[in-house]
Order: sequence, then C-alpha cells, then structure tokens
Amino acid sequence: MLNNNYCEIMTELKFDGYAATWCPGCGDWGIRVGIKAALEQLAFDPSQVFLSFDIGCSGNMNDFLNGYATHGLHGRAIPTAIGMKIANHKMTTIVIGGDGGIYGEGGNHFLHACRGNHDITVIVHDNMVYGLTTGQVAPTAGKGYRSKSTPHGIIEVPVNPLALALTQGATFVSQSFAGDARTTIDVIKKAVNHKGFSLVNILQPCVTFNKINTYQYYLKNTYHLEDSHNRSNLGKAVEKSLEVNAGKFPIGVLYQTERPSFHEELEQLDSPLVDRPRFSDFSSFTNEFI
Amino acid sequence: MQFNWKIGGEAGFGIMTSGLAFAKIATRSGYLIFDYTEYPSLIRGGHNTYEVLVSDEVVKSPKWEIDLLVCLNNDTYKLHSDRLTDKSMLIYDPHVFVPEIGIKIPITFGKIKRDEKIDQMMMNTIAVGASIGILGGDLSIFEEILHQQFDRKGKEVVNFNLKLAKIGYDEALKNNIKPLSILKKKDIIDPQMVITGNEAFALGAMVADCRYYAAYPMTPASTVLSILASWQYKNKMVVRHIEDEISAVNTALGASYAGVRSSVGSSGGGFALMVEGLSYAGIAEIPLVVLLAMRSGPATGMPTWTEQGDLLFAVHAGHGEFPKIVLTPGDPEEMIALTLKAFDLADIYQTPVILITDKFLSESHSSLSKKLEDAALEKHKIDRGKIVNDTKETPYLRYLDTKDGVSPMLIPGKKGTYYQANSYEHIEDSHTTEDLKERVKQVDKRSKKNTTYLKNHFELPKIIGDLNTAEIVFVSFGSMKGPIVDAMKLIKTKSAYIHFTHVYPLAEELVQQIFARCVGKRMILVENNSTAQFGQLLRMQTGIIFKEKLLKYDGRPIWPEEILLYVDDNTRSVVEEKNDTKIKAKVLSEDFRKKEKEIMDKLVAEMSVE
Repeated sequence: MLNNNYCEIMTELKFDGYAATWCPGCGDWGIRVGIKAALEQLAFDPSQVFLSFDIGCSGNMNDFLNGYATHGLHGRAIPTAIGMKIANHKMTTIVIGGDGGIYGEGGNHFLHACRGNHDITVIVHDNMVYGLTTGQVAPTAGKGYRSKSTPHGIIEVPVNPLALALTQGATFVSQSFAGDARTTIDVIKKAVNHKGFSLVNILQPCVTFNKINTYQYYLKNTYHLEDSHNRSNLGKAVEKSLEVNAGKFPIGVLYQTERPSFHEELEQLDSPLVDRPRFSDFSSFTNEFI
Repeated sequence: MQFNWKIGGEAGFGIMTSGLAFAKIATRSGYLIFDYTEYPSLIRGGHNTYEVLVSDEVVKSPKWEIDLLVCLNNDTYKLHSDRLTDKSMLIYDPHVFVPEIGIKIPITFGKIKRDEKIDQMMMNTIAVGASIGILGGDLSIFEEILHQQFDRKGKEVVNFNLKLAKIGYDEALKNNIKPLSILKKKDIIDPQMVITGNEAFALGAMVADCRYYAAYPMTPASTVLSILASWQYKNKMVVRHIEDEISAVNTALGASYAGVRSSVGSSGGGFALMVEGLSYAGIAEIPLVVLLAMRSGPATGMPTWTEQGDLLFAVHAGHGEFPKIVLTPGDPEEMIALTLKAFDLADIYQTPVILITDKFLSESHSSLSKKLEDAALEKHKIDRGKIVNDTKETPYLRYLDTKDGVSPMLIPGKKGTYYQANSYEHIEDSHTTEDLKERVKQVDKRSKKNTTYLKNHFELPKIIGDLNTAEIVFVSFGSMKGPIVDAMKLIKTKSAYIHFTHVYPLAEELVQQIFARCVGKRMILVENNSTAQFGQLLRMQTGIIFKEKLLKYDGRPIWPEEILLYVDDNTRSVVEEKNDTKIKAKVLSEDFRKKEKEIMDKLVAEMSVE
C-alpha cells in the first residue's frame, strides 16, 4: 500500500503523493501541477501548509498532493480551512474543491468567507459538471445544460463565482484555465501571497462528461486580462466578471485590495491560538456570578 | 425555611433582570436559591415569569405553591390562581384589580408611574424594593446590585433606580406592616454563585482550555454563545457567531485538527445540522465537544420550553458506526465537572462527546459555593491523552492500530512530516483506501475505543438515598435530578434515586448489577418526554425494562409535588407494578418467542393458501 515516494521523504519532503487516478486528459492534472509548482516556487514544503480538500474529483487530490491536510465533508472545505487558520494562523491555508462543493453545497460558507476576508486561498475546479457522481449538472453550468439529473436542461441560470466573490467582499478574485499552466501557477502564487480571502476559479474541461465546455471551447472563449486592467477598481472587476454572460472568460487577476483579514481583526490572536499558554485566572470569572 | 417568590408581567417589562436581582439579593443575604423562568418566544407582549425559591438548605427545583406573587399586571394573578393559597401574599396595583384570595399588599404602581414619570421597564425595581421590605431584607444589597447594573449608564440613571427601589420598599411597609424575616441578612461564610447550566458549561469550557467555540444562536443554547463572547477578550478564547451550524461544526473540526480544543453548541434543530460533522469527527478521529440544549420539539416546536426529547437522537447522531460519548449532567455543579471531563474525553478518545442539557437546566439558576468551585477549577489538570507536539516518525502513522484503539495524534506544524484527517476510510498513514482488510482493521480500531472508555472513564449512575432500605426507586437522567431529589424529601415512603450522567455507552453488566439490587422494589422511571427515551436506551444497552413511567411533555419541567402526587396516587395498583427486572426479561423473551412462532405459522398458512 505504501507509496514509493516515502523513501525520498526521509530526506526531503515532496508535494507529490500517490499517482493520480483522474481520467486521462482531465483538467485536474493541470491544476495539480499548478498548485504544486506554485508552492514549490514559493519555497514551501508539505509540512508548512494546511490543505483542506472538498469531496469530488478535485478533492481526491488529497492522496496526490502532500501536506497537513483535511479531506472532510462535501461542501465544507471552506469552514474546515477557516477553523484551521484561526487555530494556527501562521500556516498558509489552501482550499481545494470543485464547483459543486464550493458554489453549491457550500455556497453559504463561500459568501460568508468572502465577507470575513479569512486569509485562505480557495482554488475551485470549475468544470460545470459533477464528475465523481457521473456527470450531473453543476451550479456553474449554462442555462439549459442537459445532464442525467436535468434531462430537459437546467432551469436555473449559472452561479457567477467571480461576481459573487467580488460583491461579497473577497479581497482577491482571479480566474485561470486548466490548460494554461503558466497563468495557473502565476495566479495561484499571487493568491497564496495575498493577505485575505483569495479566490482562484479555474475553468477546467471534464473530458468524460462535459462535451460542451472542452479545451477547444475554452481556448476560443478565454482571454488574458490586459496589462492595463485596473485590479483595484471593484466596478471594473464586476464588469469583467459579467462578461461570462456573453460567453467570454477573462483570465488573470480581476481584483485585489487590502483589508485586514479575519484573524488580524481578532485581538486575542496576538500569537497563534494553538501556541499560547493555557489561561488560568478563573476566579475573576466566578466572581461575576456572586 | 423555604420561600417561593415569583414575579410576572408582560414580556419586555424587565422581569428577567429583576428576577436575577432578587435571586442574588437572597444569596447575598446568606440563603440558597433555585430559580425558574417561563417566557414565550416573543420580545414584547405575552407573559413572562421568574420565580425564586429561597431556602436555608440546598434546593434543586421549583416549588408549586407561591408564597409571594408580584403581579405587574392582572394576567399574573389569573395565570397563577391554581398555585396560590390563603397564605400567599400578593403585591398588586389596587387600581388594576383586587385579588380574591391571599394576603393583600397593594402598591399603587400606576400612580407612582405617573408621579415619577417612569416607563413600564422600571416598575420591576419598585416591585423588588417592595418585596425586600415585606421579607425583612436589607435594601442596601439591592442598591449594590443596582450600582453594578447601572453605574456605566451614569449617575442620574443609578440614582433614579435607587430612588424607585426605596419608594417600593417604603410603600410596602407604609400601613404599619411588620416585615417578615425571610430575607433577614445572615453572616456569609460561604459566598454563593448564582449560576445556570449554560453558564456552568461556559465556565467549564474555559477552564478545560477550550480555545474555539462557534455557534448560531438558538434558544436555549444561545446564552452560552453570549457569555463566552463577552469573556473572549479577557481569556483569549475565539468565540464566533457563525453563518450556520454546519459551519460551526466544521470550523470547530478544522480548529481541533489544528490542535486546539474546540466546541459547538445548539438546540435540536441546529444540532441536526451538525450531525454530518459528528460522523466526520468519528472516522477522522477529531476531538469535539458538542453542547446540546434541548427544547420542546419537533422542528421549531416550543422554542422557550423544556423537554428531554433529543436523547435518542443524540445517541444515534451521525451516519455510519463510530464511537461517541454522551453525558447528561443534572445540575450546574455536575455541568462544570462533566464539561471538564468532556473535553478530556474528546481528546483522549479523539471522537465527539455530547453534553446534553435542556431549557430547564440551561436557564435555571442554582446557588453554588464559590469557594468549592474555585478550588475544583484551580486544581483541574488537562489530560490530552495521546495528542502530541512532536514525532520522529516519517511517514507519520496517524491511524496506527493500537491495543486501546487510540492512535497518537500529532498537532500539525511539526517540520519534516505531514498527514491527513481523512473522512474517507483510510490506512494507518491516513491515505484513502477501499481495501477490505484495511477497512475492517480501522473499524475495529475505532470501536475498541468504546471498550477502553467503559473500562477507564465510564461512571456508574449516582445513587442518591439508600438503595438497600428504599421501597421506591426512581430512575432518570440529566435535569430530572433536581425535582426527584426534592420530591424524595416530600415522600413519606423510603426512596432512592438512580441518577445517570454517563448515558452512552453503558457498561451492561455493571448497570445490571445495580438493578439486581432493586428486586422487589417499586421502580419508577421519570422523564421529561413522551416516549421514555432513557428507558428505551437502558433497555437497548442492558435489557432492563420499566413498567412504571412518570412522563411529562407539556413543555414544563416536572414539579416535585407532581412526583409526590404520582407516588401517592391510590388508583395505581402498586403491587402489580413492582419490578423484578431479571424475571421480567425472561418472561418477555418467552413471550416474544411465542408471538414470533404465531406470526410465522400464520405466514406459512397464508402462503399455502395461495
């Protein structure tokens, strides 16, 4: 059962875990390379990062990417990561999940994490379908998308993750494409370095179940944000995020601003919660009840 | 001496504040108390009440008869006529209504209100002042409380309240009424805390070194959130009012994985949302303490009323099979002790521990010796079991198979290694698996924790009274302790009480041995629900069966007097109810086999016809 990599780990920790089990050609391969390369280029090793994996094809990266990790419940990777960050805010914390977990099942957590500006990076595999459960429609799929669970096409219009994050207070909002390794690495590095809530929405073809949003489709419909794009202008960023309605997908960092992150606003976190000594002045509290 | 004071009025009249003030006046005068409040799920209107039972000795439940009723409106009188006697005293406004029974103490609230130009919120200050006057209390104790309450609002506000308290005090005594000596100040040797079950949990959590508490407000658990939130800047706990209970439990599990003791709290509805998280804690072996404060359900039910209706839900909470410990404290003192223990158990067994309370325990105040509690809290040592900061192992075997079922748990952050908390079945090094042998190994490993717990940390029920001489034996759990213990003082027949605090899992044989000592005694199961859930749980785990059950599920706790009435009810055929657990279990199993055969025969007959 043990992986061969373990003999190397004795000397140097590697991010590479087990060989991945994704479909050949799946966008997840590219995303994993992007995350791994970004972390290596930022000089992290697996014992220096918290990884919170959601459930799904994306979350299955838990065994393929090493780190201090949780592989928790579907839709709950964000709250789990927030708890990890609050307990030990010195650790860089990354959420890895899919469009279903982050925008569907965990949609409420997503918008509240944006509001709180928790210092975590949320990397979303956005392929518009549920791969692991064999191809049902995801909340980011276009209206009318036909799938096993929506035989006559989905009635709802898609979630707009970028617009949602921007309007709910996220301080870093970006998008990449799984077929564009260089941008993916670059955007993840910027997101990880950002202090506060950062979203990296990665457009990703599902080669098995999604015959519409293919590599060709994204090559045709994505474009890199111009150098002249003003990242600090919320209005412009929202405008860019709405281009998806016209079938256009901007790639790069749409928006970045500075606001104290959640743990910085907690005055009791002058040192990491896990490291501080036990509090012991109890009698001043029992006095309150006299 | 026992004296039952009660105040009632419209919600929003400040009933809760004045009730607590009265309770503290009593304890600061040297008495012990138990208090109980009733209020509808409304912010304005409706009828709120607060009753304080004052006593020389320990009291643990409310008393039915009211000795002094403060009626801030006519409803208070009408709603309590069945609890008044000729000896009950009534404070009321003679311009609003005149009571037909009891000793009348008219106070012209309306006139004072007009004269002093005050709003309704301040009437209760007059009422408390008047109560102190009649009961021979020391007004300066109330004045001290008013200072503590209003000093931050400025001198004018304080002075005005002090004036109203004095008006009430004088008004009550103006017709040459000779004050009683109910609240006569005694020397205080042992200062008393006035504390609820929820406050006891908050205190216990702090002392247990809980560093993260997340919740979404839900009555009757909400006060835990507000108390801990107000303390967090001083004790450095992180306390969060979070978007929903699902997030509460998952952030707590994240924090717990990262190495800090964490907890969540809610009532039934919110707890239901947390249940998937319990299952995750079970397989990933993450410590977690959950406070479940029950109220009348199902669904929204009666939000501000009490019930013990979620016991079986808590015991069975979570899909899949994993070890879980359920504790049911009976009063604030036990709540503190069991909260301390719960956090240790969660760490030692790396699994969820559920502490169950209900509205009755969560929101009723008891007096508790500060000296004793301070000493207990001071000497409490944290036991984190196999949670460690360091390891030399690579790869780290987070889910190492061990004899006791508990694996070492490294606090993440140690350089040179890593591991996962995995909600998928996993091998010892935490990687996902679907291998049949590894699956069985991990399931067996986790379930060994149950055996270890039963051996090392399970506690048998407390026996209150003398089981050998008792003719009547009460059996219950959690908050029913108070009413039963107080009822035993009223019942002439010798009685004892078997009080369960460690309700799940139960050590089958040990518990059976206790019940074997009860052969021939009248056994009465007492529960604040309609389906005798603890009886079911006891039967499930030990085979013990009850014939006699005193159940109440109208949203109110059981009064000791109700237990007395039940016991004395001659219409019940007591002889027949006498319980011999062992014999009965046998009879039933024979019965069962007979029935089973009948059903099978019938089925066979039906099939042959076709």
